[in-house]
Amino acid sequence: MNAVEIRNVTKRFARVTAVDDLSLDVPQGSVYGFIGPNGSGKTTTLRMIMNIYYPDSGSIRVFGKELHGACTDRIGYMPEERGLYKRMKVRDVLCFYAELKNGKDVRKEVDRWLERLDLTDWANRKVETLSKGMAQKVQFIATVVARPELVILDEPFTGLDPVNTDALREAVLELGSGGTTVIFSTHDMNVAEKMCDFIFMIFKGRKVLDGTLAAIQDQYGSDTIRIRAEDGSAALQGLAGVEKISDFGQVQELRVAPDRDPQEILSAVMSRTRVRSFELARPSLHDIFVRIAGPEAREVSDA
Amino acid sequence: MRKVLRVAKREYLATVRTKGFIIGLVVAPVLFGGSALAMLLFRNQVDTRDKLIAVIDRSSLVADVVIAAAEQRNAAVVYDTLRGERVRAPYVIEVVPRDDVDPDRQRLELSNRVRRGELHAFVEIGPGVLHPREDTAVSHIKYYSKSAALDDLRGWIERPINGQLRELRLAEAGVDPTTAEDMFDWVGAVPMGLVRVDPETGAVAEAERSTEAQAIVAPLVMPMLMFLMIMLGAVPLLNAVMEEKSQRIAEVVLGSATPFEFMLGKVLGGVGVSLTAATVYVAGGVFAVQHLGWADYIPYHVLPWFFAYTLLAIVMLGATYAAFGSLCNDPSEAQSMMLPGMLPVMIPMFVLVPVLREPTSTFATGLSFVPFFTPMLMLIRQTVQESIPVWQPWVGVAGMILFAAFCVWAGGRVFRVAILMQGTPPKLGNIVRWALRG
Repeated sequence: MNAVEIRNVTKRFARVTAVDDLSLDVPQGSVYGFIGPNGSGKTTTLRMIMNIYYPDSGSIRVFGKELHGACTDRIGYMPEERGLYKRMKVRDVLCFYAELKNGKDVRKEVDRWLERLDLTDWANRKVETLSKGMAQKVQFIATVVARPELVILDEPFTGLDPVNTDALREAVLELGSGGTTVIFSTHDMNVAEKMCDFIFMIFKGRKVLDGTLAAIQDQYGSDTIRIRAEDGSAALQGLAGVEKISDFGQVQELRVAPDRDPQEILSAVMSRTRVRSFELARPSLHDIFVRIAGPEAREVSDA
Repeated sequence: MRKVLRVAKREYLATVRTKGFIIGLVVAPVLFGGSALAMLLFRNQVDTRDKLIAVIDRSSLVADVVIAAAEQRNAAVVYDTLRGERVRAPYVIEVVPRDDVDPDRQRLELSNRVRRGELHAFVEIGPGVLHPREDTAVSHIKYYSKSAALDDLRGWIERPINGQLRELRLAEAGVDPTTAEDMFDWVGAVPMGLVRVDPETGAVAEAERSTEAQAIVAPLVMPMLMFLMIMLGAVPLLNAVMEEKSQRIAEVVLGSATPFEFMLGKVLGGVGVSLTAATVYVAGGVFAVQHLGWADYIPYHVLPWFFAYTLLAIVMLGATYAAFGSLCNDPSEAQSMMLPGMLPVMIPMFVLVPVLREPTSTFATGLSFVPFFTPMLMLIRQTVQESIPVWQPWVGVAGMILFAAFCVWAGGRVFRVAILMQGTPPKLGNIVRWALRG
């Protein structure tokens, strides 16, 4: 059964089409990643799933039913920009959001999550005293504390340090393994690759990718050579049959043109420099993202 | 409704738990009471230094009388004989010979003496003052000082001058003033309430004397208190909603509650805050006034109306302010929305006095049926001693209930569209369109 079914949904703001004829199924219990450059329509899609925005056309069904208001208690929603009452105490604000979601026995659950995310010592402090990372974890708790069946997270990992990113990632995966459907948007392709059962990419309002990582990569085939060349990218310039060189310092990725044999390219490289390692790989999600979104996405991806 | 109440509870607690609210509850009556006490304490704090007044008597008829009147007054009121202290300023009269050659120069010299502080004031009495109807140009009494319009001495000096002139006119008419001493006695009309039947004895009860406190102070206290409640419970919603919008709190709340539930919860929270404060003020005020022995001044019959009007006013105005707040993206936009937002509250304040003086006039009656104005104007009409038709407050309340429902409905529609719309400045066209079409 699908947790979310989107059918031919279009949403416009004045003359801008934010989402254009989008159809998407999110299976129940899956972890679904939404990727796409800034302004591509991710947040609008998430808000439409929440029914905060109404589609101009098409339909959205959540757990088999069309929503009539964003207030469904079966969904937890964490917007991109954090919204917490700054002058309230951490525990109070969490209890408020949990009770608003029809949460039962909320105090106990709030304390469990505070302990789980190492925030117990901050329970009686005002939100305004929290660091950005802490506030983000508190916002996450506010989203999940009422045990919703579907959790929607808009950029949950943005701005977090590695330790907090790991803590939040583990919490999200724990929700997924517990049967909760998780949809989250991200600009971090590594996170999407590692965490998501399914990945959906939206670009200029239209769906351009949808499926498992393997299925998406299969669409592009093994057209990438990952190489460690002793002389770095300088030795790789001007190779015939190479469409693009991505230099990561220690590693270089070469995108092989269609109908060209990677073995020929390897031979050409070896004639120029010593090759320490060589791997014929499918393109990374990052690479696929950049190929689709092009220069518009490059600044986002590099950020 | 549970979510509405949960939002309302948060709003209510977020306000009443603050030190500002608790201090405000105490500080406001202390300020009111303190200022009244200060006026009482400092009413005798007057300048007791001599006040020298120059008199140019171009009529040659009254200067001596003014001197005599000043001496009589000084002997009577300047000293507190029990304490042996000077409690009033003595009036010292200096008669200045008139300069008929260059009167302007004389006035300038005296004015300069006033400026230097040598004189308190100078008075010029016209030559024709005995018969002012014959030539008004020369029948003046002109009082010159730094603040002539507000100077108490100006009012005092009129009395001996006019008293002397009346006696002179009687003498000219051949009437001996000593044979008709009460000729100029003035009998005032005593303000009385209406006579009514005593419900216990069935007898006609004597009417009570009406006082200025009953007629003016008591009717004004209630609308002033309501104004305070509106400022406390409804007006802050504009900035609160704007903040929740700009800080993205609204988006999180809207994941759990509908825009209508969110807005209504905030409005009800404001109602709770206002009613809490109103209860404290009314209970404290009634207790204090009873304790001071002025229980007759308390308009008990309008207290239930006061609470009903306050509740409806906060709902009506709160929904409007919440909708306005949802249109704003930053404090400057909220500030610009505050002016039109405050008009429904300020207009009744501007017309309080004419409504107080004539509560049954067409003007007062008509305005009191405008829902935004009903709370304050109907209340003041009910509070003044003159009764208004019984049906009018009920019709006013009915109008308020209908209009409050409209405000909540229309405000909810504007709120729903605007609360997540960033960067679009508030425009009247948008407000109307969203209110009507959603």
